[in-house]
Parts: sequence; structure tokens; C-alpha cells
Amino acid sequence: MAVELTAPAVPARRVSARHFVRLKLRVMGNNFRGQGRRIALFVAGALVGLWLAGTGFVLFATPGFADGGRYAAMVAAFGGGLLVLGWLLLPLVFFGVDETLDPARFALLPLPRRTLVTGLFAAALVSVPAVATLLALFGLVATAGALGGWSAALVQVVGVLAGVLLCVAAARAVTSAFASMLRSRRVRDLAAVLLAVAAALLGPLQLVGISALQETDWDSLTGVSEVVGWTPFGAPWTAGIDVAEGRAWAAPIKLLITALALLALVGWWSRSLESAMVGAASSGGARAKSDPTGGAVSQLFPRAATWARRDQFGALVAREARYWWRDARRRANLITIAVVGIFVPVLVNLGGAGFTTNSGQGFGQGSAEPSAGLVSLSMLFVGVVAAVTLANQFGFDGSAYAAHVVAGVRGQQELRARMTAFSIYVVPMLAVVSIVIAVVLDRPGWIGLTAGGLFASYGAGLAVNSFVSVLGAYALPETSNPFAMNTGAGVAKGFLTMLAMLVTAVAAVPMVVAAALLGDVWHWLALPVGAAYGLGAALLGAYLAGDVLDRRQPELLAAVTPRR
Amino acid sequence: MTDEHPALSLRGLAKRFDGKVAVAGVDLDVPAGSFYGLLGPNGAGKTTTLSMAVGLLRPDGGQARVLGQDVWVDPVRAKQLLGVMPDGVRLFDRLSGAELLAYHGLLRGMDPAVVDQRTAELLDVLALTDAGRTLVVDYSAGMKKKIGLACALLHGPRLLVLDEPFEAVDPVSAALIRDILARYVASGGTVIFSSHVMEVVERLCSHVAILAEGTIKRVGTIDEVRGKRSLEDVFVEVVGGRTATGEELAWLSN
Repeated sequence: MAVELTAPAVPARRVSARHFVRLKLRVMGNNFRGQGRRIALFVAGALVGLWLAGTGFVLFATPGFADGGRYAAMVAAFGGGLLVLGWLLLPLVFFGVDETLDPARFALLPLPRRTLVTGLFAAALVSVPAVATLLALFGLVATAGALGGWSAALVQVVGVLAGVLLCVAAARAVTSAFASMLRSRRVRDLAAVLLAVAAALLGPLQLVGISALQETDWDSLTGVSEVVGWTPFGAPWTAGIDVAEGRAWAAPIKLLITALALLALVGWWSRSLESAMVGAASSGGARAKSDPTGGAVSQLFPRAATWARRDQFGALVAREARYWWRDARRRANLITIAVVGIFVPVLVNLGGAGFTTNSGQGFGQGSAEPSAGLVSLSMLFVGVVAAVTLANQFGFDGSAYAAHVVAGVRGQQELRARMTAFSIYVVPMLAVVSIVIAVVLDRPGWIGLTAGGLFASYGAGLAVNSFVSVLGAYALPETSNPFAMNTGAGVAKGFLTMLAMLVTAVAAVPMVVAAALLGDVWHWLALPVGAAYGLGAALLGAYLAGDVLDRRQPELLAAVTPRR
Repeated sequence: MTDEHPALSLRGLAKRFDGKVAVAGVDLDVPAGSFYGLLGPNGAGKTTTLSMAVGLLRPDGGQARVLGQDVWVDPVRAKQLLGVMPDGVRLFDRLSGAELLAYHGLLRGMDPAVVDQRTAELLDVLALTDAGRTLVVDYSAGMKKKIGLACALLHGPRLLVLDEPFEAVDPVSAALIRDILARYVASGGTVIFSSHVMEVVERLCSHVAILAEGTIKRVGTIDEVRGKRSLEDVFVEVVGGRTATGEELAWLSN
């Protein structure tokens, strides 16, 4: 009798993508159980997504009903292309990907890779951004329908569906490949360069966009949009419109292009997925085992910091400083700051300058008149972005923070040390940024202006983010993937980041106003005033937030400890 | 002066998570100089109790005193007397062993020279010197336990609170940890640790408490608790386990 039972009487049922989707929904649902705040955040996130989707829908649908559809193909190619690019790059730079279903958890199950990939892919589609993108792009269906009737609309539906699949696959493939690269410490420098290149791609695109705005003759861009329409960036979005415009032969070819791109991306993803599943165990990587020199204390402090105080504060700073470099997650953030810090102000100011002169002359030749207000504003943005990295600074540590609770580290001391360690990396970066901007704008006299604005907003940001990090901390999953986030945390992260950036920006606005109003006097006052403002704000923030931290250390520890 | 107080004294400690009672009022006195074992099955509330006792988790009610100092009223004084090794909590594992110990020493406000000397000794005794500059994240499970113990011992605490110190540790490392703890108690320290390994508790402990379903079921010196039977029998009886009859899971046997 027992023997019969061992034989697999019933063949194992096939696992389909449906199971993965249901698993994801169940995990999401269980995460919400009894967590009113998380539900509220999720609903708010969904509403924002819906609002963006509605706006996108209108934007995509308008060309179908205005101007007899002259710009339909152009809007589809450029708008859709931008969306694909966003899905490709934004997860890398800002948001991360939802790892509710961590591939490593499926490593032991007897699942064929094809099943696993389709399942995870289907689960990835169940997310607010994916649904919002789909809704927005249905505006193109309306356009195609208005211009070419039912047949065009139908083709466009297929195109849009395939296009959204393409977007999600692109996000997965890129983050997955990039994550496994960052995991091995040897290629981290290469990874940094790659990210920089990826962000640099935004540059030319923006220049094209600006010159497009300047051209009164939009039709000259038709050629460009046609070319884009034949790449995977534009192909899915223009298929239906081609039908509407009488080029029915183009539609199947464009859908084929989309399908091929999709297949390639999924194939790439599935390959890096395999390495993520089996490679997770050896995440550490071998280190060169040189013999330690000197006592334990002098090993803790970097060689460049022999002057540092050998006490609690010094130890906190030294450990934090080492962590900003040794923790892949933190390092990815530093790289982001460096890239954003250089590119955004250069583009905003050069682009803005070219915009105001309204001429087709080359950028960055000093012919345009950069405005002090705009420069200060872009500096403010960089400072805000740099400081917001600390919005979940305790989340980086996770349960290791218990050591500080047990040792009874005072909140003020803790926050000041964390600010100091982060500033060791960021302040030199900001200094370089301010010099580079002044030089690129051909206004060397403005170094004071740029540096002052940067330091003021950075300092204010440190203060604001101290509060956010103490009150709004959340756990990050304990994986080596720097882009992984918990469910719900994605929305929470977005909101906290937005809130912190907004408050910081408000706190630093006086610098912009002063730059706009005071004129030349400000060029000399900006640096000392800005630095003092930033330093004062940071110290005040550490003082006040430290008090809060003293009262809720155990709660903070519970918030950053991942639930198992 | 403080010797009149028990090393650790818990009164009515209670904690619920999402409406579910994890610890329902624990009273416990750990005499100074004792080697105390906190026994209990998985999910009994051992980790929750110890976390509340050392200031890592805020209790819903009750008191915890370390040598007379209230952990939740005057945390700084109490925490100076404590050495803690939590379970399931990460260390700052992107430091090497020596760096981690130096960090803990300075966090505790120790003199750098003393930190250097004790770190060298601890690494030597715990056989971790060979690891050199290897990051703690790349250590094996046993090595992680040992470095965690070293972190808890470094500042010379009067009371050591260890959560599952023998979990996932190979016999060689376990023997080493046992010896160090025995020496620590012999020289006047107090240890309380949680475990569900009977042999270790029977071999080491002077006192035992059995915790199940969030309350203390048995407490006393080890002889009082086990009487004439083995500790395991008492434990299974108290916890209310079942024994397999041989009828169920018949398909396991071919």
C-alpha cells in the first residue's frame, strides 16, 4: 500500500504564468494585511499613476483629432520612444524594480527556464507603472481609430500591447544585467562608466528636443520621426497609424521588429536571471588577503584619515565612510549623484540659454546670456538630489543598526556622524560640479554663486532628510541587488523622496531669490552665506532630529529590520 | 552595591504583534554569577523576551532591570553593563573582523589602546586571526557567531545576553564558545542565553527557565527543574509535544 503511494499516481500539473501572477497578488495582499499606512500609500500611488495615465492618454489621443492627424506619427514615435527610454533608464537611476518575486527563491523548484521567465514576466506586468503606461498609450488607439477606422485601431491595439511588453522586458533585462555586474566588485568601475554613458544618452536627446521646440517648422522633424518609427523605440507605436495613413504594408513589418526586440530582451533577461539564481551564493567575491597592518583601530580608520578622532564620533564616521564605498547599494547612489550633478545643470543651463536667445547657434559658446536665477535653481536641484540619498539612510544598515541601539549611541551624535561621512564624498563632488558649471557657462566669476546655492540646498536637504530618515524609515530587502525593493516600498520610497525634495527646495528658495534680486553683490556673498546657511541648517536638523531619534530607537530598528 | 540586585530582573514583560500575543507577562530573576539557560520551542517568545530585556524592542508593559538599572528608564546606564549578541540580526558585515571589533569598542567609548589590545586577544582566542582582512559578510556561519560573541565581550560587560549562541555552529567552534563562556562565569560574570539544545543547557547551566507560548512554565536551578528525569523529558512534557505512532506518513517508507 505504501509502495503505491510513493509512485506519482497523478502527473504533476503544469505550472503556468497564471500561478506566478496569483502568487504576486497574494504576496502583495499579505503585505497589506493590517498595515493601514501601506494600503493608503498604495492607493495614493495608484491614483497618481491613474492621473498620469489620463494625462498621457489625452496627449497621445489629441493628434488624432487636431490638424487632421498631421502629427500623429510624430507624436507616436517620439512620445512612445521616450516612454521606452524611460522604462530602460529610470529603474537604473531612480526607482529600482519591484522584486516581490525574487528569482532566487525559485532556484530549487523543478521549473523549466521558459516557464520561470514567462511567469516572472507576467508577474512583472502586474504593477501600477505597467498598467498606467498601457492606459496612457491607448490614447494612440484612439488616434489611429479616429484617423483610419476600426482596422487601424485594431492594429494599434496589438502594437500598444506588444510595446508595453517591450517596456517591461527592457526594464527587467537592463536592471538584471546591471545588478549582476555590480555584484562582482571587479567590474564596478565599468558599471559606473556604463551608467554615466546611459545618462549621457539623455543629453543628445534633450538637445534634439530643445531644437525641436525652437523649430517653428515641425515638419522638418518628420524625417527623424520616421526613422525612429522603424526602430524598436517607435515601431510598436506607429504601426496602427501607418495603417491609418495608407501604409498598411508597414504595419506587419513594424510589429515583427517589435516582436524580435521583445524576444531579444527576454532572452537577455533569462540569461542574466540564471546567473542571478545560481550566483547569489558567491556574492562576496574573493578579496586580496594582504596582511593587516597596525592595530585594529588604525585598520578601521582609512589611511587618509589618520587625523580623525579615535572616539565614538570618529568610529561612526569611519564606518559610514567605508560603507558608502563597500556597499553596492550605497555606491550606486553615489554614482547617481555624480552623474545627475554634472548633467542636469549643464543641460538645463545650456538648453535654457539657447532657448531664450531663440537662435540656432551652437550651445556652450557663451553667446547666450545665462541667468543667475536659473543657475541657482539648477544648483538647488542638484543639492536636493544629493541630500535625498539619505532619506532612508537607516534602511541601508538594516538590522545591523541594532549594534547602535545596544551601545546606546545618542541620536545627535549618530546623525552628525552620518552627515559628515556622506559629505566626505559629496562635498568634493559638489565643489567640482560648481566649478565645472561656472567654466562651461563661461562665467568663472560665478563659482561663488554656484557653490553657494549647492551648499545651501545640500545642507538644508541634510536637515530635512534627517527627519525623514528617522520618521519614515523602511526596510530594504537583504539582497545584493542594489535595485531591489520590497513591495509597497516602491510607492513609499517615491512619496518620501518627493516630500523630502519639496521641503528641501522650499528651505533653499531664499538663495534663488537672492540670486535673482541682488545682482552682482550676491556673486561674492553667495558662497559664504550659502555655506553658512547649509551648515547651520544641517546642525540644527541633527540637533532636532537627534532628539526624536533618541526617543524612538527601538521603533526605528523595527522599521528597518526586514520581515522574514 | 549593585551585587544586591539580580543581574537581570524581568517583571511582567509583555508584547503583542498585530493583536497576537508573543510574550504574555514574563517574570524572571537571573542571579548574579549564574549561567542561565532560557529554553523553549521555536516561536515560544525567547527572542522577543531577550530583545525587550536589552532595549532592542519596546515592551507593551512590564519592567526590565540590569543590576538594578531600568533598561527603559535609564537606557544608557543599563546598556553599559550589558553585552548582547542578538540572533538573526546582521552585523556591520562589510567590515573585517578587526575593524568590526574596533568599531564596537569605540562605539562603547573605550580607550583606543585598550581596544587594540583586547581585539588582538579576542581574535587570537577565537581563532579568527587567520581571516585577516576578509570581510565579515564572507565569514562562515560559525565565524559570524564567534565575531558576534567577541563584539559582545569586548567592553567587559557584567551581564552577557546571548540569543541562540550555538545555532548553526560546528562542534569545534561550539566547544570554544562554551569554554569562553564558562571562564567568563567563573570570573564573576553572568550569562543568560536562549537555546533549544538540551545537551548544551544540561552541561553548562546552573539555572534554567522553560518558556512556552509566551509564559514561563518552569524555572529554578537545573536540578530543581529536571528532578530525577532528563531535562529533555521535562521539556517535552511541559511544552506538550507529541510522539509519532508510526501510523501517519506511511508513504514515507518504501
